[in-house]
Amino acid sequence: MASRVLHQCVRSLARPSLRLLSGNTVMRAAAGPAAAALRPVSFAAASRRTRWLGQSAISSGVLCRQYGDLPPLTLETIKDRVIYVLKLYDKINPEKLQTSSHFMKDLGLDSLDQVEIIMAMEDEFGFEIPDAEAEKLMTPSEIVQYIADKKDVYE
Amino acid sequence: MASSAATRTASKVVKPIFSRDLDEAKRRVRELYRAWYREVPNTVAMFQLDITTQQGREKVREMFNKNKHVTDPRLVDMLVIKGKMELQETIHIWKQKTHIMRYFHESEEPRATDFLSKFYRGHEP
Repeated sequence: MASRVLHQCVRSLARPSLRLLSGNTVMRAAAGPAAAALRPVSFAAASRRTRWLGQSAISSGVLCRQYGDLPPLTLETIKDRVIYVLKLYDKINPEKLQTSSHFMKDLGLDSLDQVEIIMAMEDEFGFEIPDAEAEKLMTPSEIVQYIADKKDVYE
Repeated sequence: MASSAATRTASKVVKPIFSRDLDEAKRRVRELYRAWYREVPNTVAMFQLDITTQQGREKVREMFNKNKHVTDPRLVDMLVIKGKMELQETIHIWKQKTHIMRYFHESEEPRATDFLSKFYRGHEP
């Protein structure tokens, strides 16, 4: 049964993108003759329906499938999350925080405070930042740039 | 130190312990701070301490700030080594609750510094 589903996936992807816009009825009609008599047609249509929903719901312009993965990162979302985490930190005054504020010079933080901030970013985004590169990240915009470099996010 | 006695030139080069300059030593300090920071919640849970994680982290910060003024890389390396030994003993639960709570000095009275307080308590050596 898995091979049959894969077969239908390949055939449906090979068809032109007109299928994306067409409704479920066309798919069900196409799936009818393709599926064997024993295999329930509604299951194939339902699985394809959910898959197309997953594809068309993304409005960022990039066509990608979300089977079990996180939503794709953009520069704005990275920046929002970084600023949100920084505002939660109690040694930073949230009014004075901007993307270009230097940790040591503008916000008056320690080097150990900067280590704590980088660790909070590691926890937020889920990947390790080695200390050799972490000691150079001194402003929120640099952190955003570094995460975008590591995660291959670009405009 | 045999090596430092052997060099007679103006620029004395001593044999380093781990790091060659202060930047590398500071990097080791940061790594140690990261390890301690991540270890504090586990410590509070394992030893069933009566402190909050925030208090534990403040205490770690205080211990690190005590030696903030040190500039000799070999001395910094030695302090990092001692810190790593403490961390190892804490992680493997070779210490006990009393040893961890000794950092906090809660039940100890601060020692008297001026003459009159020492006089009232009696001249202890």
